[in-house]
Amino acid sequence: MQKISVVIWKEWLELLKQRMLLLSVLILPITLSVIPLISLFGIALAPGTGEPDELTLRMLETDPTLIGLSEQAATQVIIGRSLSTLMLLLPMLIPSILAAYSIVGEKNNRTLEPILATPITIWELLLGKIFATLIPSVLLTWFASMIFSVGVAQSAVDPIVFSLVVSPSWVLLLLLCAPLLSLIAISLMVMISSRTSDPRTAQQYSGVLVVPFLALFVSQMFGILSFNPVTTLIATVIIAAFAALALWGAVMIFQRDSILTRWN
Amino acid sequence: MTFAIETEGLSRSFGKLTAVERLDLAIPSGSVFGFLGPNGAGKTTTVRMLTALIKPSSGSARVLGHSLGSDDQQIRRSVGMLTETPGLYDKLSALQNLVFFGRLYDLSRAEAEKQAEHYLRLFDLWERRNDPVGRFSKGMRQKLAIVRALLHEPKLVFLDEPTVGLDPEVARTVRDTIKQLRSQGRTIFLTTHNLPEADELCDLIAIFRGKLLHLDTPDRLRARLANQATLVRVVGDPRAWQATVQALPFVRDLRLSEDALEISLADPERNNPALIAALVGAGAQIRYVEPRTTTLEEVYLKLIGEA
Repeated sequence: MQKISVVIWKEWLELLKQRMLLLSVLILPITLSVIPLISLFGIALAPGTGEPDELTLRMLETDPTLIGLSEQAATQVIIGRSLSTLMLLLPMLIPSILAAYSIVGEKNNRTLEPILATPITIWELLLGKIFATLIPSVLLTWFASMIFSVGVAQSAVDPIVFSLVVSPSWVLLLLLCAPLLSLIAISLMVMISSRTSDPRTAQQYSGVLVVPFLALFVSQMFGILSFNPVTTLIATVIIAAFAALALWGAVMIFQRDSILTRWN
Repeated sequence: MTFAIETEGLSRSFGKLTAVERLDLAIPSGSVFGFLGPNGAGKTTTVRMLTALIKPSSGSARVLGHSLGSDDQQIRRSVGMLTETPGLYDKLSALQNLVFFGRLYDLSRAEAEKQAEHYLRLFDLWERRNDPVGRFSKGMRQKLAIVRALLHEPKLVFLDEPTVGLDPEVARTVRDTIKQLRSQGRTIFLTTHNLPEADELCDLIAIFRGKLLHLDTPDRLRARLANQATLVRVVGDPRAWQATVQALPFVRDLRLSEDALEISLADPERNNPALIAALVGAGAQIRYVEPRTTTLEEVYLKLIGEA
């Protein structure tokens, strides 16, 4: 445990000294929480036409929770729910930036061999790196979600908008899935790190993580998928299985012998 | 005699390539062991196996009494290692780098700081302890990497080209440190291309190229070339005395240079008085007489060439 905390201390110390990296990590949650709020405030401030548009009408047909809402409130719920899924991007994007520098950067600086020569176990090193990345990623995700929630409460034209957007299922999804999604992203970065020596290339490879998210975003947008406590728990179990698989893959690759003899 | 390192048939292959083939070594504790060989000879692979970084394909080894494979953590805890490249965190200060590695070697924060201060002062880096390592010169980085290898006071230290990039004064400090470590009973495994340095420091030298070619003391390795000769510097053209020298029965070979005769003798200590008497008797004016010694570099190049 002591060595894990030493690795975390070193990782955070390095992060604090890399201003550009720190900035790029901080700018993401700010952007992803503020942009949806601009939309929601825009809807609240724009005068309603009184007649719902075609998309809203279609959504009203598929989503019974919207029945009885005003045009502005329904639009806020539809947009708010879709954009709330953006928060799930954060636990994937932030770790891909941090882990790229943490592992590929270490490889580039040739600091891995001196570390591996110490009596640290591979698990201690891997867990130190995972926690050093996972903790800020999850905290920033939750922090951005709080800003988003406060913004939704402030911009809601009807109190029911808040309860439909910041729903217990969404909160549960963020609490349970953010750490798991971060773990998947970090594990993937460990695997990518064995094949590339450039942090930016590693980040580009990690773009594949966004694909399942886009499917989720579109499904939410068109009402194909809506999260309730049951679907949230099912999603959590599926993501947990993927996280376990990704972690197993990372552990298989992150071995002293492989790092020194097989990593490119 | 106890041995810091004992290997038996230690081998490592990468696919079809055998990097290290059946290495048998016994390195006495408290000695400086020179591991010499050309680039790509498998030296780094050997060091990585002995420091429990990579696994051997076959064979066995004991490092400080610990078995490779089953006591790997003990081995890593007991040895220090200077890698080929310093491998330091550029954004962190010298002290932060050392405290980080010290703690990975199970030192408390206070112990790590105390040890860091001791060695940073020894290597004249204490004043720069709070500077980011990225601002350090190549030589300063190398010194810091050496400090890191010594921080936890290991009984066995692997040093890969420790004086590369260092100015002569600092290189001398490093060599003195190595001698001091030996005097403390520690074992040094020195990988180097600097042959005069190996000659000065090493008690035992291995010449290695995928497999062990020769293992001996520097003196005995030199004796293998046994081209014992006497160099006689004379006034005037040395060719004038060629016939006089060649007439002597104990002369094996004669080579001439601009102002000297290089004479290979069967037994220089016995033959030198007669040789000098013959030259003086023939009228030669002798400026200097000196033994022509074989350097370790000559021995190395010959043995590697033969391999």
